[in-house]
Amino acid sequence: MKNTKIIVLVVISLFTLLLVSCAPGSAQSAGGWSGVTVHNNIIYVGSRDGRVVAINASTENLEWSYSLASATALTGGLSCSPTAVSAAIYTTPMVDGDLIYIGTYDGRVFALNTSARGKNLNFPRKTYGEWVVFVGTGAGNDAIVADMAMKGDFIFVSCSDGRVYSLEKTFGDLIWRSEVLDEKHKKLWTSPVIHGDTLYVSTFDAHIYALSAETGEPEWSFKSEAGFASSPVIYGDTIFVGSFDRHLYAVKIGSDVLEWRFPEKPAGNWFWASPVVDEGIVYTGCLDGKLYAIEADTGKEIWSYQTEDQNGRPSPIVSSPVLMDNLLIVVNESGTVYVFDLAGELANEGVPWWTASIGASVRSPFCAQEGLVYIRGEDNQLYIVDIDNRQMSQPIPLTAES
Amino acid sequence: MSFVELWHLIIGNPILNVLIVLSHVLFGQFGLAIIALTIIVRLVSWPLTRRQLKSSKAMQDMQPKLQELQKKYGKNKPKLQQEMMKLYKEAGVNPLGCLWPMLIQFPIWIALYQAIMSALATTPENLLNLAHRLYPWDIVNQAIPLSSHFLGLDLGQTALQAGALGLLLAIIVGGTMWIQQKMTTAPSVDPRQESTQRMTTLMMPLMFGFFTLMFPSGLALYWAVSNIIGIITQYFVTGGWGYLKFRSPFSQH
Repeated sequence: MKNTKIIVLVVISLFTLLLVSCAPGSAQSAGGWSGVTVHNNIIYVGSRDGRVVAINASTENLEWSYSLASATALTGGLSCSPTAVSAAIYTTPMVDGDLIYIGTYDGRVFALNTSARGKNLNFPRKTYGEWVVFVGTGAGNDAIVADMAMKGDFIFVSCSDGRVYSLEKTFGDLIWRSEVLDEKHKKLWTSPVIHGDTLYVSTFDAHIYALSAETGEPEWSFKSEAGFASSPVIYGDTIFVGSFDRHLYAVKIGSDVLEWRFPEKPAGNWFWASPVVDEGIVYTGCLDGKLYAIEADTGKEIWSYQTEDQNGRPSPIVSSPVLMDNLLIVVNESGTVYVFDLAGELANEGVPWWTASIGASVRSPFCAQEGLVYIRGEDNQLYIVDIDNRQMSQPIPLTAES
Repeated sequence: MSFVELWHLIIGNPILNVLIVLSHVLFGQFGLAIIALTIIVRLVSWPLTRRQLKSSKAMQDMQPKLQELQKKYGKNKPKLQQEMMKLYKEAGVNPLGCLWPMLIQFPIWIALYQAIMSALATTPENLLNLAHRLYPWDIVNQAIPLSSHFLGLDLGQTALQAGALGLLLAIIVGGTMWIQQKMTTAPSVDPRQESTQRMTTLMMPLMFGFFTLMFPSGLALYWAVSNIIGIITQYFVTGGWGYLKFRSPFSQH
């Protein structure tokens, strides 16, 4: 009897461990949500299986793909818990001439040459200017989650060791690394933004830092009450940044006083996506599914629009809105695309000019160019939405077999 | 509403949000929040625990009589089982009595485990998913994201990644679990069962020590604290170390 009891206990314990570690709502592995870039008619995007994929925008054919997976890739092991696919890509490929710069979840920054990758040569092909470097401790634990920034000959990388790194873009040499900007969380998951000769970084521990782009020395900082969820955006001399306390903050550069925060009472959820600013109006998406248009000077709401999923329920806005000419494009997590005409008759009423659904979940940054919107879905497919013709092409699979 | 949504609504989200509030109140120390919540859960489930311990104590008190039965009917298994069941019935003890309270507590442990994993938000996906499980309380949203660092450990990393400290944590988890098991597991009256039982008592702590190395340290901290509280309550309720110092008569041969 006792034996049965003990065996039952062992089985229950094992079952429980498996159940809780793999059940929905438990930890989710890092899969990546790389953004899309289009340059010289080539679409560059990171896939969910850790590859950089180059696709011809006209023919929609695969030009090349290159796996960033390292030989020492970590797996979930016994637990389905948050051990990551080491090559998970959260950054948007950054193009400069023939080189593509991209960061990975295991803390590596790659410079890939489009010709060398097209010929499938061994990596890194130094004669083609290719390199790979680790940032952080180099142990592969210091994830790069946010988009990188580039200015002149330098690349700026936010790293999960809480520092910003400046790399020389020809050889990947380290120029400087900042002090730890987030001692509490020891992670930086927001992008550095360049304004003049200064980098601006927001942190989870409620700071905005201004760093010298040349030396990485702090020049100014602003302290808030709650952590910042989004990367900062600068318009004029004002920084706009979303917060975990369900407000959007506006801070004058150099000031230690809050300019305004929106809304007066907290919104329905975090302001996770970075806002965009145009003609004195801040457009910001919230995880409560609403798109807000706010006066940049005063923080007063002009209009708001509730985005929804296919069942009419609010759907979070995870990806930052994008401006294309006079069009504002918003894609919510359920994959519904909203196009607002900012110069049209309905510009001040917050009514979309056109909506469409790609039918896949979206968390990645997307880009828009020449009437086309390029979106990477969480189903590892690339969607191209033709706004001018109000059409959607067949999704392009980003899987290794495609 | 799906089962997962219902689960989060009734059990998962309340525990998660309380954990985050505790973290905010306890100086932003998530490790302290885990310890505090483990104590709170132990207090809330105290009636069940007490029943479980009493049942275990009753089994302990019956050992001399069970051993007498073993001597008397050792060679006649069906008769031995029959007499044992009779004895249990007379004493008003259900041999599975200490199992059911534990089973009832499992949903709470699962929710606690999930809350720890969710609150740690070790990957960007986890952090984003967390947004939909938080209450609209200022204290909760101002506490996010939580710091996962506690006593030199990153509670979001596996103990294996944490090096020597992680190994120490695995030893503590395994060691405390072994002590707790030894205290509560009544020795068997059957030599073969006794051998299997001894093996199981050793296997469970070894397994959990191994799990400690594979799972985030936050969970290992919870296991360690839970085991230590279990040992303390066991000590005071049953009045001593239980079967910890008990030497099985079969091990002498």
